Amino acid sequence: MLESIITYSFFMQVFRMFTPYYLGASAATFSERSGVVNIAIEGFMIISAFSYAAITIATQNPYLGLIGGLIIGILFSLFFSLFTIKLKINQIVIGVGFNLLMAGLAKFLMLLFFHSSSNTPGYPHIPRLPFLKSIPMIGDLTGDSIIIFALLLVFISQTVLFKTRFGLRLRSVGENPEAAETLGIKVRLYKSGGVIICGLLASLGGIWLASNQGSFSDGMVAGRGYIAIAAMIIGKWKPMNIFFACLMFAFFESLEIALQISGSGIPSQFVQMLPYLITILVLIGFVGKTKPPAADGIPY
Amino acid sequence: MELTVTKKVKANILSTSISLVATIIILFVFLYLVGKDPFEVMQKMLTEVFGTGYGIGQAIFKATPLIICGCGLAFCFQASLFNIGAEGQLNLGVFVMSIVAYMFDDYLGIFILPIAVAIGFAVSAFWGFIPAYIKIKRGVSEVITTIMMNFISLALINYFLIEFLAVKSTVRTEKILDVISIPKLSVFSDYFEGSSANLTFFFAIALAAATYFIFYKTSFGYKLRAVGLNPKASRYLGINTNKMTVIAFMIGAGITSLVGLNFVFGYKGYYEYGFSNNLGFTAIAVTLLAKNNPIGIIFTALLFGIMDYGGLSVNTLVPKEIMLVFQALVILSILSFDRIIKIYYLKEK
Amino acid sequence: MNTSPIIEFKNISKKFGDFFANEEITFSILPNTVHSLIGENGAGKTTLMKILFGIYKQDSGHIYINGNPVSFKNPLDAIMNNIGMVHQHFELIDDFTALENIVLGDEESDYGFLNLNKSRKVLIDIIAKYNLGINLDEKVCNISISEKQKIELLKLLYRKSEILIFDEPTAVLSPIEVEEFFKIIRKFKEEGKTILLITHKLNEIKELSDSVTVLRKGKVVYEVGSDALDISVLSREIVGELETVIDLNIRGDVKSEEPYIELNNIVYKHEKASALNGVNLSVYGGQIYSICGVEGNGQSEIVDLIAGITRKSSGSIQMKYDGISLVPDDRLEKGMVKEFNTGENVLLRNNKSKYISSSKIYDTAKAVVDKYDVRLPALNAPLESLSGGNQQKVIFGREIELDNNIMVFVHPTRGVDINATAYIHKIILEQRNKGKAVLLVTSDLDEALKLSDKIGIIYKGLIGKEFTRNEFDESTDKRNRVLQNIGKAMIGVNSD
Repeated sequence: MLESIITYSFFMQVFRMFTPYYLGASAATFSERSGVVNIAIEGFMIISAFSYAAITIATQNPYLGLIGGLIIGILFSLFFSLFTIKLKINQIVIGVGFNLLMAGLAKFLMLLFFHSSSNTPGYPHIPRLPFLKSIPMIGDLTGDSIIIFALLLVFISQTVLFKTRFGLRLRSVGENPEAAETLGIKVRLYKSGGVIICGLLASLGGIWLASNQGSFSDGMVAGRGYIAIAAMIIGKWKPMNIFFACLMFAFFESLEIALQISGSGIPSQFVQMLPYLITILVLIGFVGKTKPPAADGIPY
Repeated sequence: MELTVTKKVKANILSTSISLVATIIILFVFLYLVGKDPFEVMQKMLTEVFGTGYGIGQAIFKATPLIICGCGLAFCFQASLFNIGAEGQLNLGVFVMSIVAYMFDDYLGIFILPIAVAIGFAVSAFWGFIPAYIKIKRGVSEVITTIMMNFISLALINYFLIEFLAVKSTVRTEKILDVISIPKLSVFSDYFEGSSANLTFFFAIALAAATYFIFYKTSFGYKLRAVGLNPKASRYLGINTNKMTVIAFMIGAGITSLVGLNFVFGYKGYYEYGFSNNLGFTAIAVTLLAKNNPIGIIFTALLFGIMDYGGLSVNTLVPKEIMLVFQALVILSILSFDRIIKIYYLKEK
Repeated sequence: MNTSPIIEFKNISKKFGDFFANEEITFSILPNTVHSLIGENGAGKTTLMKILFGIYKQDSGHIYINGNPVSFKNPLDAIMNNIGMVHQHFELIDDFTALENIVLGDEESDYGFLNLNKSRKVLIDIIAKYNLGINLDEKVCNISISEKQKIELLKLLYRKSEILIFDEPTAVLSPIEVEEFFKIIRKFKEEGKTILLITHKLNEIKELSDSVTVLRKGKVVYEVGSDALDISVLSREIVGELETVIDLNIRGDVKSEEPYIELNNIVYKHEKASALNGVNLSVYGGQIYSICGVEGNGQSEIVDLIAGITRKSSGSIQMKYDGISLVPDDRLEKGMVKEFNTGENVLLRNNKSKYISSSKIYDTAKAVVDKYDVRLPALNAPLESLSGGNQQKVIFGREIELDNNIMVFVHPTRGVDINATAYIHKIILEQRNKGKAVLLVTSDLDEALKLSDKIGIIYKGLIGKEFTRNEFDESTDKRNRVLQNIGKAMIGVNSD
């Protein structure tokens, strides 16, 4: 039975599913490394997925959809930093509020614009990269610029966080903002930086989902924003570890889909709950101790 | 000397009213921008909700579970436990509650009601026990665990429902005998004719009153709040904070299951997948808006109930989902005005 | 001498709420001197330095550096003006290496990419010059306190700061480390740097300072140069006038037969490190037993074990009575719920009924407020609106009224003004005279000497030497030698 599931297309699927997870998880990492907990990754993905859909439908230009989706993500992350950094409101509560707001807005605007409570009309996806899309076997993956970006992001985020001045300062405000401030570092600026990168990456994840699916539907993000946070925790806030955590979750999700199709009798619900269960087990400490940035979630 | 105290009360009233006004203004502008007439929408909503007994009844029906769930969450929030898992807790409790009621209704008749409710309560309480236990034993934040457990509980229910318990080609359980139900308000007054509002509303009010009494008039309530305000000091003051964490979480989660009274016994007679429709999250907003005060929760829940039914009633003019936006805006604005008033009016840092 | 001041404070005022932390402060500091700023806890020293360093903004007044008015919006502005500050609580990032901590904010980089090796080279020279040997690649969470201070010094040197502010630099150091530190300070001075030293240790002032400014209740009350420095005058200026004088020598012999608290060979381990290594301790009824030592040698672990907050790893604890009265060290963090009012805070600890009514809250508050002379804005005002001394009185009142036979007081007068201190000392002695067993944990040796029947010195998780009152009483001629021995025991040196 396993042979029928673990196929070539299954692996393709794993890397596709990996993409939104990794974008979301890196998003959360940049935010939390700067000391801001953002549990609204889900909402950021929803609103930018919808923005991509709406703009692409209106203009028939997926690039405008991409840019528009990213701008919306940045706008919302500016609001998010206003609430959490400027006003120092509890980050979790703001996160819950943002999730409700962004999911609600997407639902409302979908009905308003497209008169449907389930999905939007179809629209073009982001064009494949020339040359790279025609590489044999893996052209499906390499032709997709966002998948490529997500894979490169493993190295980019590792480098930015640990090898650059920006990264050192970003991490310092997440670990001990008082200490950073006494060294003349503008704490709020770097925290905002973390939050904006977070919004940008999470939005890109949402945009990929929307582009890949060809039509925005209610519930299409389906908890991926939360799984991304789980992947970040399991990955201990480190880009490389998070890569493997996301790969694992992508594997489970692909498996769930494959099981549903193959009618194997293994209840898909159990595979579905696995990422969440694993996260809890990791948190309890079965997979080693996890330590968030020291000042994570504490307003400064 | 009295000033310090009244100033705080004033600040609370001020922030609540400013944020409501601000939200309405933002919403009006937003509606205007998307090409709707906000005044027309407002007017229609008010006449639909307050013009008929049906409208008022429906608003009450929507508010009832929010009061109940809000009281449950208040138990957790007062102890500074960010229970984001009410959605999962209440679904699991209500699910088991309706299964038990359906399975034994033939034998026990109306007596099954308290039994089923007690079992449902216990299941939800157990679901609340898990994050509490993980928190006290391993120091893991309840926020993440409860979010994760929401997904787990919904997947579990989905599995048992689809595989074993659902009525064919639906996502609901078998119907409980009609005799085992909570009377609708329309039984007592024709005014509420057609509305689903039932006696659970009065139960919810009583629950809020009892919760208020516990929080502010008992030793237990003081200890609960002390743990929430300063857990470290609480330990030095001889309070068993771990025990309080577990108790608060279990009672809180248990109470959320009581929303089953309204939906299962007061309305449908069965559990339906998705019946809660994010109730557990909306209740977070209701509770925060009331600053965890159970009496306040009655009013904020009614406000949300009115908006919920109001949204439905204006659906012909503007998608009812506008109310989701409204609710989220209310949360964000109350949080920010609270803060702004603290900084500029109370001069806190 | 005709040099113009390097720093001038002119009429600096800063209020927190209704409380003046600094009020019309005016004085100046000459270049290339060691200038000490001295005063009690809460006198406003740290606030003033934080204003100078751009962390706080003054409400009114001006600061001049080299005669030019400056207005620092943040520490970066201060750093740009060659000012460096070592804070009382080290400002270090545990998860970073020493090197990362030092360069943070002033990193060598190529196109945004860190070039740590370039900084390392600079630092190796500095380390050699000042003899500040540390491992630059060790994470800060793994190193000792004195090494942490070296990192703080390196931060200043790396930035070539010329005006150096030290806030209570020696509080956490052993006497030998203090000597090392003094040497470095002198070297700084030789190089022409200006040093601002915040302290409340008189001997340090005598040894190092060129000039001294005394702050009391947010105001400058006394200024003196090293030539006219008189310690007794200085100490009177620091404290001000006493409102009440209490005779602490009225002590009856009420010692109990058996100990009320008995610790036998207590070992306590926390995250691999052992905090207590076989502590033996007996406290009798009618006795004040003080645990003295440099902070962080296991005092708080002993208290937490006795209070039942943590569990021992091995050994036995015997308490003759259930229930202890405890005044913890950090009243805001451990002693009270600051949002609750007086009555609520007392009832939280001392309530026999299941219910709490408004009238009960009122009555309880009234009783404590009257009996313990608490001054507060309103009977139902939250404790956070009371001054530190009055908060401490509420906590004392609450714990004393519990009337337990065992009482534990931890740093009971820290951050409390002089009059409240005298009052608290009186209460502690009264409890002893009533036959209670009193365990006092303090790092203030004078306090211990005044109050104790017995002093145990704690060092590295062990109570080594014990001294009884007849050895250190003011009437004995051995006193001076015993005091020296106590000092030595506190740093783990065997006495003669």
